[in-house]
Amino acid sequence: MARVSAKATSVAPPDSVDFDAIRKDFPIFNNSAQTLHYLDSAASSQKPDCVIDTIADCYRSHYGPVHRGLYPLAESASESYEKARQTLAQFINAPSSDEVVFTRSATEAINLIASGWAGPRLRAGDEIWLSQMEHHSNFLPWQRVCRDRGASLRVIPLDSSGQLNLEKAVGLFGSKTRLIAITQVSNVLGTINPLEAIINQASRHSIPVLVDAAQSVGHMPVDVQSLNCDFLVASAHKMCGPNGIGILYGKKERLMETEPLLLGGGMVDQVQSENSLWADIPARFEAGSPNLAGALGFAAAADYIQKIGRHQIEQREQDLAASAFEVLSGIDGVTIYGPDNSQKRSGILSFNIEGFHPHDIAQIAGERGVAIRAGHHCCQPLMQHLGISSTARASFSFYNNQEDITALESAILETKKILGA
Amino acid sequence: MDSVYRAVLLDHFHNPRNKGDLDAMDRVKRGSNPRCGDEIEVGIKTDKKVLESVKFRGRGCSICLASASIMSECTTGLTVRQAQDLIRQMLAWFDDTQADAPPVTTLAAFGAVRQHPARKKCVLLAWIALDEALA
Repeated sequence: MARVSAKATSVAPPDSVDFDAIRKDFPIFNNSAQTLHYLDSAASSQKPDCVIDTIADCYRSHYGPVHRGLYPLAESASESYEKARQTLAQFINAPSSDEVVFTRSATEAINLIASGWAGPRLRAGDEIWLSQMEHHSNFLPWQRVCRDRGASLRVIPLDSSGQLNLEKAVGLFGSKTRLIAITQVSNVLGTINPLEAIINQASRHSIPVLVDAAQSVGHMPVDVQSLNCDFLVASAHKMCGPNGIGILYGKKERLMETEPLLLGGGMVDQVQSENSLWADIPARFEAGSPNLAGALGFAAAADYIQKIGRHQIEQREQDLAASAFEVLSGIDGVTIYGPDNSQKRSGILSFNIEGFHPHDIAQIAGERGVAIRAGHHCCQPLMQHLGISSTARASFSFYNNQEDITALESAILETKKILGA
Repeated sequence: MDSVYRAVLLDHFHNPRNKGDLDAMDRVKRGSNPRCGDEIEVGIKTDKKVLESVKFRGRGCSICLASASIMSECTTGLTVRQAQDLIRQMLAWFDDTQADAPPVTTLAAFGAVRQHPARKKCVLLAWIALDEALA
């Protein structure tokens, strides 16, 4: 399969992309009465016209059941669904589209591997490792499977700047480790984890690694072959695609070892009253009628991002985050968590203002058209590490601009003015 | 947009009434909001079924702390039964965002907050803890 990512990203240097023009691709920014400063893309990103049109066009002009009919409309639905799978396989440089499974979400993909792959092979005394910065979706499935199988859940601690402290993760590559499940980018701190090094070492010890790419795949080049991960999960809605669809990538031999999570139509070869034979991968993991419009919208989002270029997107979002870091650091009482500007980070910035609750910051910002998140961001173990209960979070996407940062700054100053003693 | 940050709320946030130590109270109940890690403890001291003192302590956003402070003022001096009635009315007022009149006029300051369902728990955290302390 062609290395599309390498091809597309070498076309244009970062400064040649017109991001002001790109912002116009997102109708939500043209449709709001109040200027929308959307700084919550790590929760869910906004959608460009091409994705919205693809979905509408699917329902208007060529919607049909996937893998279930013999008439032309059904055949073309099946064909376009499989083409979408190929597009996503290319997007992450999977060797074959058979190794890409459509799921409802990244969350479902992790649950599938926890139940279907880890569950049957974990024994008492085995260990699964993850990190202190994981989202609950990459924590809870492992917690349950470990508890059910008498295995231990081990946690890679973090250092004070929010980086993995691998030296303290004693036994990470030990003989008891059955799997390492780790995020590529922290949804709270914006930390980019050194996955190549971890996976390199893991593979020397034959330890499979699952990568949670929910916060990375739409924001930086992600290549499952150069990463050499065993599993990778991602969701469409965080990368300009629709809600309700995600992917699981798995190396063929790993997927062959995995039991399906959902049983039903479309995932079997033969059903008899006592025994049934699963269909081949990836169909065996896709019980029920496939989400055609979701898959097409997902593929359209991947194409759109590919066209802009992920190196360019990565640079743009890092520049915005670095600029916001500068601005926020200049405000009295602001604490920013995670890497500082001397370290590489993604476009995610979590912060607090001394004496003010993140809810209040987010509420006052919201009233001024600045959409930021407040809370624990589904990362309570990380909050415990930081010794706080919640943060405010601004997350940048390539469609944001300097005005959004200025609006965020004003909102913070306003919060201090309104709530200040 | 109608700001939720009315002067009354800000006053109670900056100068909370009845906030502090709960050691001398008869009963103390804790309310927490796992979504944001906020925690409020409400303590009561009763004398012949009358609330002689209602106090609180804890951490939370301005809305949460102001609500606890206003609640402590509204309920001190009420009978247990009256306080329970007021809590019922307060919960009902938050469930029916169309209803105009608050149960007591002091609570009108929360009118705008009712339009933000995500903040409902912030307002009601202390009230639910008080309800449990009265039970």
